[in-house]
Amino acid sequence: MLQDDNLLPPYRVLDLTDEKGVFCAKLLADYGADVIRVELPSGDPSRSRGPFTGDIPDAESSAYFLYYNTNKRSITLDIETESGRLLLRRLAATADVLVESQPVGYLEGLGLGYESLRETNPRLVMASISPFGQSGPWRGYKSSDLIALAASGYMQITGEPDGPPVRQGNEQSHFPGSQHAAVAIMGALYYRDMLSGEGQYIDVSLQEALITYYTDAHPALAWMQLGENVTRVGTNSTLVVPLGAFPCQDGWISAGIITPREWDALAEWIYEVTGNEEVLNEQYRGGNQDRAPHIDILTAMFIDFSSRFTAEELFHEGQRRNLVFLPVTDVSDLLEDPQLEASHTWTEMEHPRAGRLKYPLGVFDIEGVTPSGIPAPLLGQHNRDIYCGELGLTDQELVELRASGVI
Amino acid sequence: MVADGRKALAGVRVVELGPYVALPLTGRLLASLGAEVIKVETNKVLDEMAFIPAWSRGAGQPDYQRGKKRITLDVRTPEGRDLLLDLIRVSDVFMTNFRRNILDRWGVDFPTINDVRPDVVIMWQTGLGGNGPYYTYKSYGILVQHMSGVSLMSGDEGEPPVAINTSYSDYHTGIFQPVAVIGALLRRQRTGRGAIMESSIFRSGAVTAGPAILDYQTDGRLPTRRGNQDASAAPHGVYRCLGEDRYCAIAVFTDAEWDAFCDALGNPEWTQDTKFTTAMGRLDNQDLLDGQVGKWTAQFTAEQVMERLQAAGVAASIVSQGNDLFSSEHLKARGFYRETPYYLAERGIPATQWERGDGIAWNSPARLSESPMEFGAYSNIGEDNRYVFGEVLGLPDTEIQRLAEAGVIY
Repeated sequence: MLQDDNLLPPYRVLDLTDEKGVFCAKLLADYGADVIRVELPSGDPSRSRGPFTGDIPDAESSAYFLYYNTNKRSITLDIETESGRLLLRRLAATADVLVESQPVGYLEGLGLGYESLRETNPRLVMASISPFGQSGPWRGYKSSDLIALAASGYMQITGEPDGPPVRQGNEQSHFPGSQHAAVAIMGALYYRDMLSGEGQYIDVSLQEALITYYTDAHPALAWMQLGENVTRVGTNSTLVVPLGAFPCQDGWISAGIITPREWDALAEWIYEVTGNEEVLNEQYRGGNQDRAPHIDILTAMFIDFSSRFTAEELFHEGQRRNLVFLPVTDVSDLLEDPQLEASHTWTEMEHPRAGRLKYPLGVFDIEGVTPSGIPAPLLGQHNRDIYCGELGLTDQELVELRASGVI
Repeated sequence: MVADGRKALAGVRVVELGPYVALPLTGRLLASLGAEVIKVETNKVLDEMAFIPAWSRGAGQPDYQRGKKRITLDVRTPEGRDLLLDLIRVSDVFMTNFRRNILDRWGVDFPTINDVRPDVVIMWQTGLGGNGPYYTYKSYGILVQHMSGVSLMSGDEGEPPVAINTSYSDYHTGIFQPVAVIGALLRRQRTGRGAIMESSIFRSGAVTAGPAILDYQTDGRLPTRRGNQDASAAPHGVYRCLGEDRYCAIAVFTDAEWDAFCDALGNPEWTQDTKFTTAMGRLDNQDLLDGQVGKWTAQFTAEQVMERLQAAGVAASIVSQGNDLFSSEHLKARGFYRETPYYLAERGIPATQWERGDGIAWNSPARLSESPMEFGAYSNIGEDNRYVFGEVLGLPDTEIQRLAEAGVIY
């Protein structure tokens, strides 16, 4: 059975997302779902996002689009036209899942809300990912990566204590909503297939999803119990000492000492290297609460030690001593990392415009399962396959829809 | 048919063995979806997370452990190991984050588990990878953001790496894993086969760098670190407002948004400056623009700035602090934070003797209309021993008592 080469059966997923949800549909696509990316006739706006492979701005060479749309098929459709709406309804009748991140109320305003779509397909699972959720006083507020990081409080604790809140790079807000939505969709599919036979609606708030991504800072709990706001302490922890990124001979090394046993092992190593007896002082031993008051002197002793080694030396020798030292890397290091290679992280794919590239594909190493390896679709690449081959439109109808700008 | 109070994963039993953030979070999500998640712990070696936050050790645990059946079982003892295997025999999923050498030492390696339950779904969460050169290496999620390329994409050029001071990459893994677990359960239904699935915190973080990884391969370019500024939007950043440590974030992408922004400010003269009237001009003069915007925001509270700009259709938000989140009318209307008991961790005495506290925990960010993700009850460590050992495994009370006294169920 072909489908068992991957984790999921070819569930049909209609992808009407922007950056808030595009990773959700990708995750399902990489693990076997038949995801159809529904694009505007002019192309999804993310096709114009730089950087572009080879530095040539082109609808087919956005690194962002290429990465987030692997294993998807592409059709174009203007759902703001009457015939466009009709086609989306027909597609939804064939779908297991519809995932969208349009402004709250937008699809409903077009007559394409969940209540309306379920009439023709009661088995449909529909998930909406929105900045603040589908209910509550902020539901209509506009957002972006920066705004989401601010609203969730994620930024409040990122940055130096004497500086402003800092946006974590890499557009981190694009992941949490997608991931929570993917979990909920899988739960809803299980419920449908194993128990109820029916689909349901899923409302995911990006603000809430992001709050879960820094749970261990417990901002609301700190206010409730202490009347204090957690705030920025810099990259290095002030509660767990030492923990963070520190200078070394050739750049940076990250290290974290969490258990009492780890401290003893580190202190012994620092002493071996520096001969500084102070580090063995009894008052620094024990849990983090014992070291936190001495953060300045401990950090100084640590840097005196770490700057005598390269990152590679600290990484491996630290681990030999059962201590967590990890290199600070950039994306070029990731591509050459032997561990990522051993975990089958990479899939090489040939894209007609972007050429042959190594993609990090899938997030699990599953015995006997290989993630699908089809590069991102060209704009409207599957119009004929899907509209004519699957929905049964004639070539003539397709031509007319094109001429009228619906497709 | 609506089974068992509309639980999506009704009838699924999961055994969870392991501490920290990612694995427990996976278990919590599966429990919220209605699976029976049995959390195996021991009073002898406590999860370091039981001591977080420092001001009220254990108040953070309901976020990670709620909805689970929590038992004490020392799997390092021969009888404890056998009881773990007995539990797996009657379960659908086994999840752990212990390293291979440790699982081998305890005799709960995967071949043994597969002998006990051939169609079990195994979710093995690792730090850097379960096989390969670093498989014995330890890691912490808070540091993996450095190793997965993210911290060198944050902050400004030339500055030290910038990280968020939490277990960052753990959350990626923890919320990825239920997708694989449920997928494997559905596959088992089709094929009769279980699964051995490995995740790694490292890989979970690294895949988020996808676009930068593709771009680097074609032109050798690393992402530019821009702090709070953006390549395609200006103004774009956080701006000081009235009050201590108060900021409002503002993001203006299009010309239409810029016009709306200027209107919201009452079109002061500086907004007509030709340096700012085109998108290109605004991007070229971001520092100057930020200075002007900051002068305006400094006259108002962050809430006032946010409300005025949002009313005009401009993306803006206060940089939320703990009190904003705790008191948020919006989050209240969504029922996001809920009250919960917790237990104040103390080394050396069994958890059942810990003092109780009252705190809050978050409700799931995903709301399902037909099979809601439940907030669920919060059990203390060992609270469900009687149910699990008595009802699930059918041990008589006297045997449970004997095992407790022998330090196996402890």
